Amino acid sequence: MMKKRITHSVKLTCQTLEVDGKRVAMAVEGEPFLTSLYHAASIEYPKFFKMDLLCKVGFIASEYLLNAEGKERFLPADDRAVLLFNRNSSWNADTTFQQTIDNPEEFYPSPAVFVYTLPNIVTGEIAIRNKYHGESDFILLPEMSEAAMDQAIDRAFLDPATTSVLAGWVEAVSEDDFEAFLTITEGC
Amino acid sequence: MELIDELKMKMIEALNLEEMTPADIDEQAPLFGEEGLGLDSIDVLELIVLLDRTYGIKIEDPKLGKEIFTSVRTMADYVAANRTK
Repeated sequence: MMKKRITHSVKLTCQTLEVDGKRVAMAVEGEPFLTSLYHAASIEYPKFFKMDLLCKVGFIASEYLLNAEGKERFLPADDRAVLLFNRNSSWNADTTFQQTIDNPEEFYPSPAVFVYTLPNIVTGEIAIRNKYHGESDFILLPEMSEAAMDQAIDRAFLDPATTSVLAGWVEAVSEDDFEAFLTITEGC
Repeated sequence: MELIDELKMKMIEALNLEEMTPADIDEQAPLFGEEGLGLDSIDVLELIVLLDRTYGIKIEDPKLGKEIFTSVRTMADYVAANRTK
C-alpha cells in the first residue's frame, strides 16, 4: 500500500453537511437542502439545476470539499483523479426516465433525463467544472467498503501523473435518501 | 395567456431554468450562445419534445430546426402557424 494522506473531507446527507468533521449546515423546511447549499456557497453554475439528483449530490459535496481545500479553483490539472463509488448506480434518474416512457399514449422520452442514466456523468460533471484531465471512474460496489475504495485510490496512484485523488461514496436513492462522503487524498 | 408567455413558462419548466422568470427571457434574444439563453444540444432535444407533446408539432427536417429555434419569437411564430393541439 502506498503512502498517502487524506487532507480534506466532506460528509453530506439529506439532513446535514459536515466539512472536515465540522457541521456547517443543516436542512430546514422550505428550500431543498441541495439548492440551499448551492446558494449558500455563492456558486454560479446554472447547469446545476439541470442535473439529476445523483449529480447534484456529488457536485455540491465536491464544491464544499474543494472550497475547504482552499486552492485556486478551475486551473487545468492533469494530476488529479476523480473516483466515485456507489451501490445503486443512476437508479433515481433511471426510474425518472422510465416514467417518461411508461405510458404508450404519453410516450415522450426526456433527453434531458436520459443523459443522466449513467452514474459516471457525476465524475464527468466534476471533472469538467474543475478542468481535471486525470483519471475519472465511477465504480459500483455491492456495498460501501472503505477497503475497496482504498484499493481503487491506490490503483489511481500507480499512474505517475496522479498526485491527488478526489474520491468517495455518492448515493442518491431519493430526495429524502442521499449521501456523499468525499475526500481529497494526496500522495506522499 | 399569450402564446409567447406560455412558451416561456413551458421552457423554464422543461429546461429547468429555475433561476429565471418569463420576464428574464428576451423573446428576440438568441437561444444559443453567450449572448442569449445559452442553451445546449440536449436543450434543443427537450424543446423538440416540448413542441411535439404540447402543440402536436413534429420537427423532422433538421434544417427547419435551425430556423425555428433561433429565438422564443421564432418558436412562437412557428407554433402559431403549425400547431395541431
